[in-house]
Amino acid sequence: MKENMSPDDTKFCEVLRAARPSPSLPPRFQENVWRRIEEAAAPAKSGSWLDALAALVLRPRFAYATVATLVLTGVFLGTYQGAQTARQDAQARYVAMVAPNPLR
Amino acid sequence: MNRSLVIVLGALALGAAVFAGSYFTAQRASIAYCDNPVDDLSWLRTEFHLSDADMARMRQLHEGYLPQCAKMCALIAAKKAEVQTALGNGTNVTADAEKELTELGELRAQCQAQMLRHFVVVSQAMPPEEGRRYLAEMEKITLGSHEEIEQSMPADHEHGNH
Repeated sequence: MKENMSPDDTKFCEVLRAARPSPSLPPRFQENVWRRIEEAAAPAKSGSWLDALAALVLRPRFAYATVATLVLTGVFLGTYQGAQTARQDAQARYVAMVAPNPLR
Repeated sequence: MNRSLVIVLGALALGAAVFAGSYFTAQRASIAYCDNPVDDLSWLRTEFHLSDADMARMRQLHEGYLPQCAKMCALIAAKKAEVQTALGNGTNVTADAEKELTELGELRAQCQAQMLRHFVVVSQAMPPEEGRRYLAEMEKITLGSHEEIEQSMPADHEHGNH
């Protein structure tokens, strides 16, 4: 449609545009726009620490990291404790054979 | 109930279950891997880092000692029965009962000495450093129970100057 415009129409549009100057943007306009976009994209903030904790718990990255930490700690402590128990049982069996309780 | 509270409590319960599951599974696996309940001498091998040759010698010494130990146990059991008979149902410690108690004590002392001699022989069959450690550990285990009883007695006990 623009192609059908005559040179006079084009000139007329330019005159119109010049007659309506756009106001200058406020300071830090672009930064404020991005900040508001980020705030809108983030989950709504709650005033309560419990809500903040629940929101944290539901974050997949936090949940995976916590589960991995718990599994690793559990395996480490369980292995250590199991080795100690096995050692004590084996020692008790040997001592019971060579030095029965009434003789000690 | 507050939704956040349910989420946090659920996460805590799930975390506890995950930790407990990992802990107990690893513990069982570790016990199954480390312990050999069929072998009474497995502790010697693992604790004192003994080779197959050392273990063969340990088994020989152990099997030589067990009949002596069983014989002593039988003698002590018989003497304990005699002490019971001598004590009977009376309220006094008779001279006969006292004699039986003395003999029981002597038998126990002989048995302990025999046990300690066995520990010394076993320790000498080990590499020197491990042997010293074994002897110290066995003396602590077998004689330690008496020391615990003696140390639990109050220092200002009126019989303390015996």
